[in-house]
Parts: sequence; structure tokens; C-alpha cells
Amino acid sequence: MLKDIFLFELKYRIKRPATWAYFGILFIFGWLIAANGGNDGGSEKAFANSAYEVTSFIMIISIFSTVIASAVMGVPVYRDIEHGVKNYYFTYPLNERSYLLGRYLGSFVILMLISTGIVFGMIVGYAMGPGMGWEEAERFGPLRLGDYWHATTHFLWPNLLFTGTIFFCLVALTRKILVAYVGSVLFFIGYLVAITLAADLENKEMAALIDPFGYTAWDELTRYWTPTEQNELRQPLTGNYLINRILWPALSILLLIFTVIKFKFSNFIAGSARGRKKKEEETIDTHNIYGDRTPIPAVQQHFGTSFALGNLFSQAWIEFKSVVRDPYFIGIILGGVLFLFLDGWFGNTTYGTPSLPMTYYMIEAKNGNYIIFVMIILVFYTGEVVHRDRTVGFNQIADALPVPNWSIYLGKFFTMALIAFLLASMIWIVGVFSQTIQGYFNYEFGKYFTDLYILTFPMYLTLTILAFFVHVLVNKKFLGHVIAIAIYVLMFSIPNFADVDFNMFIYANRPGYLISDMNGFGHFIPAVTWFNVYWLALGGMMIVVGSQLWSRGTDTAWRTRIQQFNDRWSIRPALVLLGFLAIFLWTGFTIYHNVTVKNDYVSIDKSRRQQANYEKDLSKHGRVYQPKIYDVKYEVDLYPEERSTRAKAIYQITNKSPQPIDSLHLNFSFSPKRGTLTVFEIGGIEPAIIYNDSIYQYQIRSLNPPLMPGDSTSMIMEIDYGYEGFPNEGFQRDLLYNGTFLSSDLFPSFGYNYQAELTSDLQRKKHGLEIKEYIAPPHTDSLGLRNLLFGDDADFVSFEAIISTAPDQIAIAPGQLQKVWEENGRKYYHYKNNGLIQNFFNISSARYAVEEKDWKGSRGENVKIQIFHHADHAYNLDRYFASVEASLDYFTNNFSPFQFEQMRILEFPRYASFAQSFPNTVPYSESFGWVADFSDPDDTDYSFYVTSHEVAHQWWGHQIAPSATRGANQISETMAQYSAMMVLKERYGEAVMPKFLKYELDSYLRGRANESKFEKTLLDNDTQSYVWYRKGSNIMYTLQDYLTEDTLNLAFQRFLDDYALKNQPPYATSYDWYGYIQEVTPDSLQYFLEESFERITMYENRAIEVTSKQNSKGQYEVTMQVEVKKVTYDGDGLVIDEPQEASLIEIGVFGPDGTNEYGMTAKTPLYLKKMWLTPGVHELKCTVDEAPQRAGIDPYNKLIDRISDDNITSVDAL
Amino acid sequence: MELVINNLNKTYSNGVHAIRDVSLTIPQGMFGLLGPNGAGKSSLMRTIATLQEADTGTITLGEINVLKQKDDVRRILGYLPQEFGVYPKVSAQAMLDHVARLKGVGNSSERKALVSALLERVNLYPVRKKNLGTFSGGMKQRFGIAQALIGNPKLIIVDEPTAGLDPLERNRFHNLLSEIGENTIVILSTHIVEDVTNLCKDMAIICEGSVITQGHPAELVKAAEGKIWEKSIDKTNLESYQQNYQVISTRLIEGQTNIHIYSEIDPDNGFAPVKPDLEDVYFTQIFHNTSPVSA
Repeated sequence: MLKDIFLFELKYRIKRPATWAYFGILFIFGWLIAANGGNDGGSEKAFANSAYEVTSFIMIISIFSTVIASAVMGVPVYRDIEHGVKNYYFTYPLNERSYLLGRYLGSFVILMLISTGIVFGMIVGYAMGPGMGWEEAERFGPLRLGDYWHATTHFLWPNLLFTGTIFFCLVALTRKILVAYVGSVLFFIGYLVAITLAADLENKEMAALIDPFGYTAWDELTRYWTPTEQNELRQPLTGNYLINRILWPALSILLLIFTVIKFKFSNFIAGSARGRKKKEEETIDTHNIYGDRTPIPAVQQHFGTSFALGNLFSQAWIEFKSVVRDPYFIGIILGGVLFLFLDGWFGNTTYGTPSLPMTYYMIEAKNGNYIIFVMIILVFYTGEVVHRDRTVGFNQIADALPVPNWSIYLGKFFTMALIAFLLASMIWIVGVFSQTIQGYFNYEFGKYFTDLYILTFPMYLTLTILAFFVHVLVNKKFLGHVIAIAIYVLMFSIPNFADVDFNMFIYANRPGYLISDMNGFGHFIPAVTWFNVYWLALGGMMIVVGSQLWSRGTDTAWRTRIQQFNDRWSIRPALVLLGFLAIFLWTGFTIYHNVTVKNDYVSIDKSRRQQANYEKDLSKHGRVYQPKIYDVKYEVDLYPEERSTRAKAIYQITNKSPQPIDSLHLNFSFSPKRGTLTVFEIGGIEPAIIYNDSIYQYQIRSLNPPLMPGDSTSMIMEIDYGYEGFPNEGFQRDLLYNGTFLSSDLFPSFGYNYQAELTSDLQRKKHGLEIKEYIAPPHTDSLGLRNLLFGDDADFVSFEAIISTAPDQIAIAPGQLQKVWEENGRKYYHYKNNGLIQNFFNISSARYAVEEKDWKGSRGENVKIQIFHHADHAYNLDRYFASVEASLDYFTNNFSPFQFEQMRILEFPRYASFAQSFPNTVPYSESFGWVADFSDPDDTDYSFYVTSHEVAHQWWGHQIAPSATRGANQISETMAQYSAMMVLKERYGEAVMPKFLKYELDSYLRGRANESKFEKTLLDNDTQSYVWYRKGSNIMYTLQDYLTEDTLNLAFQRFLDDYALKNQPPYATSYDWYGYIQEVTPDSLQYFLEESFERITMYENRAIEVTSKQNSKGQYEVTMQVEVKKVTYDGDGLVIDEPQEASLIEIGVFGPDGTNEYGMTAKTPLYLKKMWLTPGVHELKCTVDEAPQRAGIDPYNKLIDRISDDNITSVDAL
Repeated sequence: MELVINNLNKTYSNGVHAIRDVSLTIPQGMFGLLGPNGAGKSSLMRTIATLQEADTGTITLGEINVLKQKDDVRRILGYLPQEFGVYPKVSAQAMLDHVARLKGVGNSSERKALVSALLERVNLYPVRKKNLGTFSGGMKQRFGIAQALIGNPKLIIVDEPTAGLDPLERNRFHNLLSEIGENTIVILSTHIVEDVTNLCKDMAIICEGSVITQGHPAELVKAAEGKIWEKSIDKTNLESYQQNYQVISTRLIEGQTNIHIYSEIDPDNGFAPVKPDLEDVYFTQIFHNTSPVSA
């Protein structure tokens, strides 16, 4: 019997077009993405079809297939209700169990079958990928069927089993098909909760278990895989991952068993006893066969336009009410609101520290998970609204009512427009709520409403129109859902995988924008609005076309609809269509003109081609000697209100080379559309142009007479520079209404620029260039040693600047402020630096509030600390001050004297989020610490840390200027990390370090997992920030722990003694730096220097088991089983060897966590000792006085350890 | 005003030829459309009710081209489909009020009076505030009748309206219809011959998409006089009778098998003449157009 029902279900489903439609959609989707080489972003060395990528792609599809699972598994029982078959079907001699299981198994087999669409699509796509030419052929590895089998059996089917079973059971138990939709939403919620929790490092274990799709658990184990490992490895089922993979399918099977036991035909027919009202009883007067003879009154009927309009609005309102009263709608929107809230609450952390609930963060929460809910609601409820009459069977009556099509059609569209409006409104409602409960009362309704109603609502409307159009066209609810969602997914993924970024061509796309407290909505509103109108005009056209295809009546065949289209089509819709077309063309033209004529739009492909040609044509000039600047004077007039500037530079240049210089090579950072060089004089005359290319932005001018070795001359440039119109993408943030941040790039640099070359191996090969392993020359290169890393146009220079700006703004440049005056309604600032600095400046201007403090050094130095900030952002100023003071203290005491009279910190708008250290000036992004919320003492005080890092650059970078050789940037960045860690440790104690180091370790391991070339060492790394920041931090911290801080600082003092402010070649290299470190390191620890600086070494230490026993004296005897493992890798992540000699590793036993004087959670070591341990398992014993709680090896994660979580374990008391 | 259908044809996309060259003239008053299940009655009704397109042919209602001027038809149309659903969470009164609004009754007090009267007439007034989802099949049917009567319809199309009604309600409905039918075109589609006998002064029989006969019921019956014969037989002989005679219907009377045959001459062999009724006419027509039917 079960078999018969099962086979019936199979046969029935196989014949259904929907089955093949789902299969086809998955197949095409898989094929498209695979043939495109999958998502960009990871390492180029990992194949597009690496084992890792195949697994993660199939897994992600298994999550999105929830929609299909709900469609396939929701209907088998519901079908019998819907078609009214239940009333007799269940009277047949079948038993409930066979019926239910037969239907279940049949449907699930079909679901498994459908799901393989993605697998076959991928296999075919990857096979065809190399031939399609959308992605480089060599990104495609060999076909490994095992990977697909692995992903299908570990994720695809288990996840579908889980979601499908739940939908099946929910519908069987509740008899409501809508439950299946809502179920799919609930799973998204579960999934998203896990992902949100996982963002916070400490919750990983929990997140790994509660993510029903297993992504988090799997990611936990695989995220540090290097490209080579990604290509080959398949993660075996272990630990949390194993539990996760068993737990959720098992739970769903339990639910199925419950359902099978609970399911009764009688209940199913009658409906659940609860909540189902009895049918009305009535009493009838059997004597009156004529019934009531009340005459039916005659009525007036009016059918004008006002009647139709009235109907439109009243219908829209009625439908709107019925949507918002729908419990499932309320459920979904509450889910969305929950995520708005969570994303607003947790979403803006840096180093795990949250931000204050600024209005723009509240608004930006909409771009997180909420947008998924928005799309779900728009798709599902558009389907509900479009099909409402048909769903309840009222359509035959309704369609025969004398209401014009346009009135019904637009009424339904208005309903969804109101829903979209509601969705936009939820964002500020939740935002204000969230701010209120966080005790933040600076509600900026102007920002909320401008963003949500002027910028965001039109986009929601654009999305609504698409869903509406699809539903009207497809005219089948479920298929409409699937197609609409598929289109949404494509819309959002095409730009990522196809390298298409021209916003005009991707539905609902528009340039990105950011709200800044400093700059408000800045210059973005017109650009976004043009795009909004453009898309709405297209939407208007879709609405007109849809209205003519609106299906009314019972005959929904396409032949009929086209016939109806022909009948309905008339001059009126044609005129409206034409009107929208006119707007569409007009806005389209305007956008096109702005983007490509007033601005330079270059497609991603074309820009790569230009880069390649730049190198092919001009790299021959790479080693041409150029003059060096030794004196800089700026006269810069900023016009913030126009976003333009007129800038003049007066250089004194000299020839430091051994040869005469007869030509000057100029590299401009802007296109002719942005700026023009109006004056260019050398020694009073304009040198002739002998080469000029506006695409490469490269000029060669002849020096006549040539500049002889040792000779000097002057060079004067004037540049008009500014913005017009709007670009396809990009903030154009250097000139703003409030918050200008210009760098010295405004003026052309000398000579061929290696930084502008293509770096990606794949792209280089594609464009016929040889692979370049390094950008910078080796540390022995004579030219590299002669040049400075921060700019080879100059050695150290003297600097002076006169900057004018709008009268309400303050302009800032490096150096001491000499004079401020007003002239012609503008404000002038004159800065002059005492002493020499690198040719590396910035010019800032904004409406600043200023805060000052004087720092006095132990040797009587006097430094003015200034903070220029947005007036509302005074929250953390004391932290900046404290950090600058502590840093100056530490660095002057441990390194060398400070070279300036002032140290400035200035805020710039959040269009970029970094801090950068210029001579005595640190511009600091608005989003980076100014509005951070440090109320929890356990949160890393990154304002303090980052400020210290930037101040440290005044030594590491500005005192010792690294040479332009590979490895030299470690002197700047690794040393700034080290210095800041020491200041942080001094301020907050060691308790603050483990969390910090773990972040650094995590970033390092992730960084190397995404490496597209090969990982470099600390000595030769020229581009990899994860090496110079993250690995650098860990290594330097451990090194000072081994050597003591003072010993290591001694090395750096010596380094500074020899190299600080050195103004002649050879400049410092990584080997110079390394030499000073080697000098202070004892022989026994030289192994650590070698493995850390010269090689790539990872530990895989872990605590296996720890037991403790109380002895007769009341002490605890602790026995630890620990394993030591050390592996060295080459840059590709391949194992070189496993060194067997002993390493110095810390062992620790801890009591319960305590808190330190700052209220931070701190480990309480009962026993801590560094031991020499060889690789292998060791049993270690020690005795402690208090009850131990946790213990293990390298408990503070000082060493680079691939799995840092297993170093300590809880102590079992015997 | 007359409803004139000329050479109407409709083939569905699945190949079913639902309406074959139908031509009918339907005057004011009750018009019965009789035919077996699947004969194309509902297709024809839906086409007249603007819910469906025709492939060829015309339908005119007075001056109105029904196939093109759909909105004009809808303004004077009352339609009760064979199957329909209701919004479960809306009361009968609110729903009728909504429909009245959609039928252009803009004045709310007029609407209120109209809805009350209709509720009285279909005997739903006591339950007017109950949600439609709680209604029994018969009550739902009566709600359907009420909504079709809103807005002074000049053309009323009711498709199998008495299905699910008990005899009393059916009577009441017939009375209501015939009262309205005095100055309105009322098309009553049914497969219950008795309904037509009781109500209609004109009728057509439709079978496999075609109109096979039309006229006044009485005249049709008269034309059949002397051509219908009956006999009680042993049921084991039924097959041989079916081979030898045009057996138009077979029925059981008190356990005896009674057959009616069509014959223009006296068939003898124990057959007795019978005074034909509309049912015999119907079965005769169906017999001539399809295979035998049992009733």
C-alpha cells in the first residue's frame, strides 16, 4: 500500500511541469554561476571548482532551495484539501501511516531529484567554463565527482530533508499551505541568527550548532584553508560539525514521527477541533414558500472615472488591511524587524567593540538581512494580492463586476506600494526604538525621512514593480514566487560574478552612497534620485504592459491573453507608455551623460586592459633617473561648496643622480575631466611636452638644458581640479562640502608608477604580461635603496603651505600654524614645518570643533596635542588624548625623542574607514572610533590602540623612512603594531591582550586563506597587509615575551640611533631591522626568529586532557596531556617539513576568570611556565594551590596556531 | 432587449471544442439552458458573462457587443457562477456592501437598504453579521444569489443555482427568479429538467458544445406527443431492447425496470404510449446526439 501511494506520487510529480521547472531553474542557475567561474573574491589560486567552492556553493543553494522545498513538500497533502479529494480519498481502505509516508517519500525523492539540477548545472557549467571565456580557463580545475557527491550528501540532501520534512509536517498538521511559506522565512531567521552570532568570535561554538544548514559549523573548520587545501580537501565529519549534521535532520525525522502518530484522517477532513467554528445552524419557516417578499429597492448606479478611482483606493486600502492583518505577514515582518534591530545593534563593531547607535547605522541596518525580508514580503504578498480572488474562488464573481481593469489592477499595485512604504517606515520606527532603549536620544528624523522616503522607498517600489510584473505575467502563484526570487537573486549576484558594474544596466541598481554626520547626504541625493526616477520610469512601462496582460476571467491561456492584449491596447495605454518611455530615455540619457561624459566610466575589463597597456608602453621608463624635491610650498584655495580647488605647488628640485636628467616624467592621478594643469614651469620656463597620453595620464617633458648632477632648480605647478555631475560609482571623497581630505597626489608624481600595474597573476597572463612575484625590488637593489617607500620623488623635504577655504571651515596641513587671516570672505591658514619631513602630506578642511592639550615630556619637550572633530562627536576625545599622551610617553622613553611640536588628530567623513599617519597629523575616519561605545570594559579600546598605532608611525615611517624595497614596509607597519601593543598593554595590563591577539591571529589566517599569489615572509613581504599587521603583531608580541620588552626596545633604540631622519641613501630595509633584532636575541631563541621572520611556521598545539587531584596538603596536583606540533609551509601553503627540535612554549593552569582594575575579564593564572617541548604528546605535571578550572598549552595564543580554540580545556577533577 | 448569439465558437488550449457554432436568441424572461454535464453550458455562460473570450462569432445584448464592450455588459449583469468561493473572514453584509459598491451603488444609504432587502429575500438576514467562512453550502449558495441580484441587472446568468439547496429554498429561489424574470433576461443553466419545466418559457438544449434544439418547452413537448412509448421489462433483457429500439431512458419504478423509447410509429411488443414530458424531450434530444443515458 505504501509502495502504491509512493509510486503514484512519483508518477504524478514526474509529469508535473513544476517539477521540471524547478529542476530547470536550478540547472540554469548552477550552470550560469559555474560557467562564470563562481564568485570572485577568494584566492585566484583556488580553482573556481575547488572542493571547497563546490561544497560551499551547493550548501548555499541548499539554503535558498528552502523555497523549493516548501513548494514541493508543502503541497502533497495540501493537494487533497485544495482539490477536495480528501472527502472521499480518505474513505478508501488506506491507513494513515501508509498514506502519509507514501506521500512524504514520493515527494522527497522528487525533491532530491529536483535538487540535483544544481549539481548537473554546475558540472556542465564548469566543464564549459574554460570555453566560454567569461573567466580565465586556468581557474577551472579537473572534474572531481567526489566533491559533488560529498556536498550533495553532506549538505544538499540533509538540508532539504530538514526543511522539506518540516514543511511537510507543518502542512499535514495545520492543513494550511501558508505555513510552508512562513516556515521558509523562519529558516532564514534561524540561519541569519546563527550568522549574526558567529560574527562575534566568542560565540562560534553556539553558532556552529544552531545553524540548521551547517554552514557555520563547516566554516568554523575550513575558513583557514589555504588555496591548495581548498582545491583538494573535503572536510570529514567531526566535532560540532558532525553533531550539527546529525542533529537537525534527526530533529526533522522526530517531527515526522510525531506527525505520523498524530495524523488522523478524520481530523484532517474536519479541520482541527480547536479554532474551527461550527457551521451556522438556522431555523427556517417552512410554511412560507415565497420567503420574504421584501421588495428589492431600485438603486442609482454611477460608473464614471471617480467611481473607478474610488474603487481603486478603497480596494487598495481593503487589501492593505487584509495583508497587514495576516498573521503570517506579521510573523515575517517581525522577523525582519528583529533583524533590523539586531543588525543595528551588533552590526557595527570594530575589534568586537560596538558603535553608538548613530542614525546612519540605524538606517544602514536596512542593507543587512532586512533586505531579504523585504524581498520575501514583496514577492509573496504580491502573489497573494494578485491572486487573492482566485485563491478563495471569488474570481468568477469579482471578474464579472463592472469595475474597469485599470482600477482593479492599479488598486492591487497600490496595495503593494503601501506595503513597500510600510517596509521603508519600519526602518525608522525600529531605529528610533533601538536608539531609545540604548539611551541615545539624538533622533535625526531629517536623516531618517530623507533616506527612507526619498532614496530608499523608490527603490523598494522598483523591486515591488518587478515582483508585481512577474506575478501578473506568470499568473501562477508558486511559479511566480520562484521566478521572481530567481530574478532577484540574479539581479543581486550578476554584478558580483560577471564583473558587470554599469548601474544603468542592472535593474534597481544605483550608485552607492553613505550618510555622514560631517557631510550629511553630501552630493549624493541628485545621483541617486536620477537613478530612482530612471528605474521607476522603466517600472511604469512594465506596469502599463502588465495592465494590458492582466488576466481577467477564467481563460488564462496565453493565446487568450494575447488576444485580450490586442483588444485592450489603445491610444491611452500607448500614451502613458510613451510618457514613461520619454522619462526613461531622458533620465537614461542624463545618467549616461553624467557617468560617461562628465565622468570617466571605464568597465572593469577595459580598466584592466589599460593597466596592462600602461605597463607595456611605459615600464621601460621604470628606472629613468628623476629629480628629487627638497622643498615644498603649497598655495591651495579650496572651494568646498563647489567641490573644487585651485592649487599651486612650488618645488625646489635637485638632481641627486649620477647622470644629467633631460626629461621629466609626470604621472597624474586624475583624468583631464577632473583637472587641468594650467601652469607648469621649471626654472621659469615651461618645458616642452614630448609625450602625452590622457588615458595613462602620463606626460614626458623635455628639460632643456638638462638638470646636471647636483644642480637645483624650481618647479611651479598650478592645477584646477574639481567635480562635475556624478559617476557610475564612487564617493569622490577628496573634495566635499564638509570634510575635504586631499593628499599630495593632487600634484603629479615623477616617473613610472609600479603601483599602477596589474598584480593578479591571472590578469597578467591574460593580458600577455609576465607574472610578477613582487612589486618592490629586493633589499639589495641599488635604485630601491636610493628611494623612499612613501614616495620616490623626494627624500626628506622642508614644507610650507598656505591654504584658503570657506570662512566657516578650518583648513589643516602638517607643520606649525603660522598665521590665520580672512581675505575676500575666505579664511587663510599658513602652516610651516620646522625641520624635515617626508614628501607625504594631506590637506583637510571642515567645520571643525577643536580641543587642545599640552604634553610635557620627561626631557622637557612640549607638544601641543590637537583634536579637530565634528562638533557632535565629542564622545571619545579623552581616549584619543590619553592615547597620544601614553604613546608619546612610551615612545620617547623607550625609542627616541619626538621630532615635532604638535600632534594633530582630525576627523574626516566616513566614506573611507581608516586612519593614516602623516607628519604630525593623523586623519581619522568618522566611523573609526569617534562614535564607538566603550561602555563595556571588556571591549577592545581600539580608539586608544589605533591612535597609538598612528602616533607610532611618527617614529616608524616618519623617523625611520623605509626604503623602496620589499620587506621594508614591515619597519613601518609591524613596528607600529608592536609599539601600539606595548602602549595598550601598559595602559590596560596583559588582560587586554588575549582577545586582541586572537583577532589578529584570526585575521592573519583568513588573510592567507584568500591569498592569490603566495604568502610572503616578514622579511620580503611587499604587499600583504595580513602579514605586516596581523602576523607581525603576533610575532612581535611573542618575541618581547621571550626576550623581555626592554631587551627588544634596546634593539629598536639602536636602529633609531642609526637610521632616524636619515636623509641619504641607502635607506632602511627589513634586513637592517632584522639585524638589530637578531643582535639582542640569544642563540637559543634564534630558531624563533628564523621560523617567524624567514619562514612560514604554524603550530598545532592542543590540550588533550587535563586532570587534577587534591593532595593531603590541600593542594591540587594537575596532570596535563598536551600535544605539540609545528609545521613549516611554503608560500603556496604546501608543507615543507615538521621541525623536530624543541620550542619554547608556555603552559598554564587557570582558576575562574577574574576582573582587573579596569573591569575587564582577566584570566587568573595559578601556574604559568615556559617550557622547551619537542613535537609529540607530553604529559606534564604541576601543583597549584587553588582549584584549577582550565589549563593547557600556549593559553594566551601567543604562537601562530591554526586551531587556537583547542589550546586550553577544562580540568577534570578526579 | 434581446441577447443574440451568432455562430459562437471556442476551443480551449487543451483542444476541447467547448462551444460549436452556437446561435441563440434569448428574449426577456426566463430562459433555460439544459444539457448534460460537460455539454458546454458553463463555457457559454462564462463567455456571456465576459469571463472568457470566444474564437469566432458574436454576442450582442441590445446595442452592446458583449465580446468587446465588456465593461458595459458588466454594468447590467448579475452572475452566479457554478462554483465560487468567499472571503472567509468577511461577513455576508459587508461583502454584499462591497459588491454593491463595485457595482456602482455609490450612495451608502441606498446600498444599505439594498443589501438588507437582498438579505431578507435570500433568508440570510439573521446571519448577516456572520463570517462567510462559517456558512453552510446552502447558505453560501444563497449569498451567491443575493450578490447576483445587486444593481438592477438587466441580464442575469445563473449557473446551476439550485445545487445544494433544499427543496424549500429551491422553491423560494424559483419564485424570486420568476419575479425578477418578468422584465429581465434570466439565463438559467441547469441539468435538472424540472427547473426548466417550472420556470422557463424559452429554452435550449445544448450537448457537446452545440445547441441541439430550442423553443418553448410546451411546444417541444407537444412535438414529441405520440412518439414516446414505455414498457416495464426484465432488466436482463435491457441490452436486447437497446439494440432494437431507441431507448432514451431507463428508470426503476418500484424495483421494476421501466424503459422509455422513441418511435414515430407504434412499436407494439407491449409498449404503451406515454404522454411525454420535457424530460422525455430532453432525453430524446440527448439520445439523438450521443450514446444512451440512464436516469
